[in-house]
Amino acid sequence: MKLEEIVHELKMDVRSAGRNLAREVRGGYASDLLSDVMANAEKDYLWVTLQIHQNIVAVAVLKELAGVIIVNGREPEPETLAKAEKEGVPILVTQLPTFEIVGRLHQLGFRGTA
Amino acid sequence: MGKDDGFGRVQELSYELKVGEVMTTTVITVAPDNRVGDLRELFRANKMSGTPVVAGDRLVGIISIEDFIKCLADGEMDCPVRMRMTEKVEVLYADEPVVHAIHKFDRRGFGRFPVLDRKTGHLVGILSKGDIIKGLLKKLEIDYHEEEIHHYRASHIFEDILADKTAIRLKYDVRGKDFENAGASASALKKTLSRLGFHPQVIRRVAIATYEAEMNIVVFTPKGQMLADIHPDHIEVKAVDKGPGIPDIERALVPGFSTAPEWVRELGFGAGMGLSNIQKSSDKMVLKSKVGKGTDLRMTFFLYR
Amino acid sequence: MKLEEVRRILDGEVVSGSKSLDIEVAMACGADLMSDVLAFIKQDALLITGLTNPQVVRTAEMVDVKAICFVRGKRPGQETITMAQKKSIPLLLTHLPMFEACGRLYKNGLPGCSEAE
Repeated sequence: MKLEEIVHELKMDVRSAGRNLAREVRGGYASDLLSDVMANAEKDYLWVTLQIHQNIVAVAVLKELAGVIIVNGREPEPETLAKAEKEGVPILVTQLPTFEIVGRLHQLGFRGTA
Repeated sequence: MGKDDGFGRVQELSYELKVGEVMTTTVITVAPDNRVGDLRELFRANKMSGTPVVAGDRLVGIISIEDFIKCLADGEMDCPVRMRMTEKVEVLYADEPVVHAIHKFDRRGFGRFPVLDRKTGHLVGILSKGDIIKGLLKKLEIDYHEEEIHHYRASHIFEDILADKTAIRLKYDVRGKDFENAGASASALKKTLSRLGFHPQVIRRVAIATYEAEMNIVVFTPKGQMLADIHPDHIEVKAVDKGPGIPDIERALVPGFSTAPEWVRELGFGAGMGLSNIQKSSDKMVLKSKVGKGTDLRMTFFLYR
Repeated sequence: MKLEEVRRILDGEVVSGSKSLDIEVAMACGADLMSDVLAFIKQDALLITGLTNPQVVRTAEMVDVKAICFVRGKRPGQETITMAQKKSIPLLLTHLPMFEACGRLYKNGLPGCSEAE
């Protein structure tokens, strides 16, 4: 499924890199620890997190993630958005907590295990 | 605590309680020379299915209703108990923990065990499964009562103190960099407030804010103190330290802003949400800080909003 | 949902508190940042987390979390286990990553903290 379909299905707001929503998403990873994501997330996965710090962009680029979902209605810092825009990393926001947005992604068929 | 898992407590009790504390001490016994036929009335009247056989103070055997029935079938009701009893008797000692008895009941399938005094070898009581259950329940009730009493005593403290103004101060010392014990003050304060009978919502707000404040002291300073003042209508918690201080308080209050080192972040803290959590949980928050001198954080919680 | 069912759905194991598998969790919260747990979780929830240090138990105690499930097969140390036993908070462990653990529980009807009453 493409990122733009997910955004539409789950009614999320796009905060950066709207030009890159045609990307195909292969699965999901949920974590708030950058080291964990660095070690375990897979290419083309969608990352669900509470973190809003600009370091999330660097991790997303490095791991070639499809995008980042920020949960609990939290807004990314301006530096994070600027960096994400520049690097072409889509950042999406949702009011839902991690458990629920992940539950819905799971219902759309995404898995967390390779 | 009322919220403790009851099952775990029962398990603990089964180790604490001794057989001697829960057994029945008035034991009906028979002598080896009694007639088997006499057992019929004894068993019926006392609703027993077996009884120890005692010579003097010494346990010499046990005779059950099954032994009696066999005897009846053989037409030997005049036979002495000595001839028909089981001589090798499984016993328990009064100083054994109840959990041993439970295992023994499980393994043997017997309805009851005679209980001996370990030193003298004398029969001192008899133990059935029912005795164990009664003993555990009684003890649990006492436990429950004790917590209730704590609760009652504490929750009436303000009514019992006669003064124009009353406040209770609780003081907790917090050690910096001691991540393992971080939160111990918040935990102790939470328990105390619960005993004092405060509303769970108030306790929750105080616990969250105090924990975050304590965590700040642990992460950023060498040491500090938490001071909780409990008034009849509000609680004030002060977190004071002589640490490095906060250079830009306004910035520190921005959600997500953090100067926490990476090791703290990897432990799940230092994401810059602490102060905004405190602000959200308390009714009033005053943060004062001087670089190089320390920080003084005051949080107020009104009991009736 | 009973804790035993949580364990079964996550193909998990009980690290401590095996006597408490029949307690009910009303909802779940998945997070690694403890400040967010403090800010968003409601009482009687199951906390799903990738962190295993003792502060996770401390956090759980503050907001009356019912049980904790560690993900990605990360086994807690003795300090964490001892503290959890003292506070009567059962600990589960699953080899699934957080995403998969949350997804499966949600699918089986466990609500999140924003949905639960």
